[in-house]
Amino acid sequence: MNGQVLQLLISVGGIAVMVAICWALFGRALGSLPSADVAAAALARDIPGFQTGVAAVSRDGRAALIEDARDGAIYLAIIRGGDVVTRKLSRGLGLVRSGDRLELRLKDFTLRKADLDLADAPAWETKLKGLAA
Amino acid sequence: MKPFDPVTLAVPAFIVLVIAEMLFVRFTGRGRFEVRDTTTSLLMGFGSTIIGAIFAFVFVGFARLIQPYALFHIGWSIPAVVICFLLDDMRYYWWHRASHRVRWLWADHVNHHSSQHYNLSTALRQPWFGVLALPGLLFLAPLVLIGFPLEMIAFVHGLNLVYQFWIHTETINRFPRWVEAVMNTPSHHRVHHATNARYLDANYAGVLIVWDRMFGSFVEETAEDPPHYGIVGNIASFNPLKVASHGWVALAKDLATSKSPREFALYLLGPPGWSPDGSRDTSDTIKARWAEFRAAQSPAE
Repeated sequence: MNGQVLQLLISVGGIAVMVAICWALFGRALGSLPSADVAAAALARDIPGFQTGVAAVSRDGRAALIEDARDGAIYLAIIRGGDVVTRKLSRGLGLVRSGDRLELRLKDFTLRKADLDLADAPAWETKLKGLAA
Repeated sequence: MKPFDPVTLAVPAFIVLVIAEMLFVRFTGRGRFEVRDTTTSLLMGFGSTIIGAIFAFVFVGFARLIQPYALFHIGWSIPAVVICFLLDDMRYYWWHRASHRVRWLWADHVNHHSSQHYNLSTALRQPWFGVLALPGLLFLAPLVLIGFPLEMIAFVHGLNLVYQFWIHTETINRFPRWVEAVMNTPSHHRVHHATNARYLDANYAGVLIVWDRMFGSFVEETAEDPPHYGIVGNIASFNPLKVASHGWVALAKDLATSKSPREFALYLLGPPGWSPDGSRDTSDTIKARWAEFRAAQSPAE
């Protein structure tokens, strides 16, 4: 057998085995935001000096909106895998509200959309309108 | 002496060690794995190998182009291999440092840092479009121009890459002081992958940490500030194609909207995060804000 083909087979087989073992040992992480504190902690890690202001966690625990008390900037925290990804919401944001559901459309290649189910969705819609396109 | 490719030979060892680390982490809790993150890292490594082989002609072509201007014609010998290894390690340091400080190079290298996990699979999360990071070629030139054979340069660089594999782990805390003083270790490289403000843009070494100590970029890992891994503005996708291209897409967007040749040049050659109005963060602005925040937290007596 050609050496390069053998090398390719070892790599593909190795990847399959490693993924299978990883799945068996760790499964698929389903992170969540049980409270705004988790989102705030992620933001405090990402932004030196971040001070938690008004915050709201989506009812499904998959995303949160949180304000920096220092300057009123609004951040999105969203679960990806077992981790939290944060974004500062800026001008050009797409915003659609339907009842308690708030859909954010971002100009972000790896994070285009975020859905939140919030008790105070109208209030957040008002806050975010200034950023909306 | 007939050279061989150390990376190819090491692949079975990589597989065994990744599995061993998974088992160790599962039973000790020292480290973290997530199946989608690991799958993405492994596919990035696989894709990088295939695409790298396809575009190897660019690097070989460039090296052959400048080879006639070499100062010496160095043959294979043990001292030559050792010197070539040391010089390649220093060359790697400067390429790596530039890859964190120049957006054009960062657009490619960011892929390696895009996981929020730090384990042996992260070592295999390698970029796909290195061929677009053209200034990176310049860092290859000095060794070729000194006169080391291309096969020797490829061989020692392969050794360097194999060494760097095992330092991507949280399972090893620290080595004896003399090892930590000279070698790049898991502790030093955890700092390099961390997004904590104090750790940004530090520890660029490949094998020898002495380059960082020598050129002022060394930062020690500290227990009071455990590293958080990833990038400033972590990506929200496990799709390997998106991971591989997100840095390039962002750069292309900025270049397309630049309003002057100066802006275009600074988007391309300035630090990651540079923007005309200063509205985005560079690692320097983050570190400055962090220093300010710390000073405010603990004012001098």
